[in-house]
Amino acid sequence: MIRFYIALWAAKLSQFLLRLLGRKGTYFAGKLAIKLCPDFIGRIGRPKTLIGVTGTNGKTTVSNMLNDVFASWGIELMNNRYGSNVDAGVASALIESAGICGKCKKDIGVLEIDERSARLIYPYLKPDYLLITNLFRDSMRRNAHPQYIADILTKHIPKESKLILNADDLISSSVAPSNDRCYFGISRLPNEPDARENIVQDVRICPVCAQRLVFDFRRYNHIGKAHCPDCGFSSPTPNYLLDSIDFDGAKMRVKESGETNEYKLTANAVYNIYNSLSVIALLREMGYSSEKIASAFDSLKVVQSRFWEEEINGKPLTVIMAKGLNAVACTRSFDYVSTEPGTKSVVLMLDDVFDEKESSENIAWLYDADFEFLRDPSITQIVTVGVRSLDSKVRLLIAGVDESKIVAVTDEKEAASKVDIEGADKIFLLYELYRYDSAVAVRNQIAQRMKEVL
Amino acid sequence: MVIEYLYPEIANLFGDSANFKYLRQSLPEAEFVETALNDVPAFAQRKVDLIYMGPMSENHQILALTKLRPYRDKLAELIENGTHFLMTGNSFEIFGHYIENDGLKTDGLDILDFHSVTDIGHRYNGFFLGERNGVKITAFNSRFSHSYPDGNCSGFAKVLRGHGINKEHGFEGITKNNFVGTYLLGPLLVLNPLYTKGLLEKLGANTKPAFFEASMDAYKRRLDEFEDKERNLD
Repeated sequence: MIRFYIALWAAKLSQFLLRLLGRKGTYFAGKLAIKLCPDFIGRIGRPKTLIGVTGTNGKTTVSNMLNDVFASWGIELMNNRYGSNVDAGVASALIESAGICGKCKKDIGVLEIDERSARLIYPYLKPDYLLITNLFRDSMRRNAHPQYIADILTKHIPKESKLILNADDLISSSVAPSNDRCYFGISRLPNEPDARENIVQDVRICPVCAQRLVFDFRRYNHIGKAHCPDCGFSSPTPNYLLDSIDFDGAKMRVKESGETNEYKLTANAVYNIYNSLSVIALLREMGYSSEKIASAFDSLKVVQSRFWEEEINGKPLTVIMAKGLNAVACTRSFDYVSTEPGTKSVVLMLDDVFDEKESSENIAWLYDADFEFLRDPSITQIVTVGVRSLDSKVRLLIAGVDESKIVAVTDEKEAASKVDIEGADKIFLLYELYRYDSAVAVRNQIAQRMKEVL
Repeated sequence: MVIEYLYPEIANLFGDSANFKYLRQSLPEAEFVETALNDVPAFAQRKVDLIYMGPMSENHQILALTKLRPYRDKLAELIENGTHFLMTGNSFEIFGHYIENDGLKTDGLDILDFHSVTDIGHRYNGFFLGERNGVKITAFNSRFSHSYPDGNCSGFAKVLRGHGINKEHGFEGITKNNFVGTYLLGPLLVLNPLYTKGLLEKLGANTKPAFFEASMDAYKRRLDEFEDKERNLD
């Protein structure tokens, strides 16, 4: 116990000193605490109700939405919104909310939790609710393959945690099968095709008998509804079913436990609608009324650093976080851009920042991402930017994009000057998560040119 | 010319299907066959010029092994007769004596003289620079397993930087006649236009790979990086 208090006080002192230096969101305190007391996370006080959010894509968006909803209700949370989502980040958030004796001062906590950190966090900290957004391929270096991540989660998720799962994702919906659970899902919507073809489709065979699965419909990648004609295995039935979307009226309808409720649509892209729906499912499971949730949703916005649109002299310039090394997230952005009305010029800044500095980049992921969406005739120009611009060019050629539409630029400073400002109705800039600052610089140069030219 | 992709529904973990697509674009006259797990493979029914398979999850690797076991003798005969095989990632481990994972040994097809050991707790990632017949090979590694020759095995490429078939071995991959098994994964053929050009020639096609000039530009830039000793390739 003495060891715990030494760790807590040293960590709190470090947090105080770092704050004096103006540094926010660092995980140093948590790292120090765990180093001094390896089971620190299990010893420090936790909120009465703890929510964990994990999964490949959308966990930051979902965590932020939850933070915003609780804030709109005047509830102060313990969270790691500005910190990291690994064990040290979680520890830092707990330290931040703890008093000098280690007791948590907040009633509710929302923690975004890295899925690979399960073995370091869940033995000590057992969320009352664990929301898993989805499981997709991610960085092969860190995540190997989705089944590897699903196995880690099944092995380490505490049996006490109630799971909030995506019924339309046959990988994440199957984790920790003995845990109490509920599912959210989206019906096939009008105008949705039977199947959206993607390169990555990680559930093609029945997990029970290995026969080929039949997809009743496939929204994207392995997201959809499937059954096995041989053994009867099928996608789970959602407890929270979004069965109708009114894009014009910005409303979505959710069927839940025999009742039907309407909520504000906080996003147009279906992958973000899943995020909103998962938040509703979680809050309903916690006992909040649909009216209270709907009222909070009325004030929600999509996080701007991930989607930022501005009209400049009558022409939209849109910046979208596409998440490099993550083929599925990039594919969703490519799909979105390709289906936007009008002609488009697209700037790609997808190189990994850390690989560029230290070694090189494993570009295999480019061939899991559906660059094929970018061969849509409405896309009139694609500017690939960075040291991997030539690799992206080859990928685009293999995807069937005409070479005359591709401009490969190594130096980011030259990117804006290559964009065809007048030739397209809209300009999109897709950037990798950690390239935000340079993406903003390129975006501002494009905006400046738009002000001059248009 | 017939090119067969075995089990694309599971053997495509890291952008590997690009190899098949690139061959399709490079050889527009050839016939391309995708064989699902419950299909009878084309190689068991007629002449096939190149058989391709990519990496799989550990469970799926055992499933593929089970599906190929009835064709063990045919596969051994094809390797002996000089049919081309390109087995990337952990797919080639199926052809060895056994695959060991967490103390459990699963018998392989026992055609080639090596065995493999999977350690799910330790993932090896790295870049690879090697040489095969005077051609530099640039590629990527990401795996839980290593393989160990038990007798006289030829390698696919001499290691210049990065790891070979295991941490000590100076060669990457296993070859026999025209069988190539390599841990190098992802779009290996796209990344190495010179190697691919040689492969097409060996297959009897006197043609350059698709988008050869653009692929060469990207290859040269990557090669510069991989040969730069200041860069960490582990």
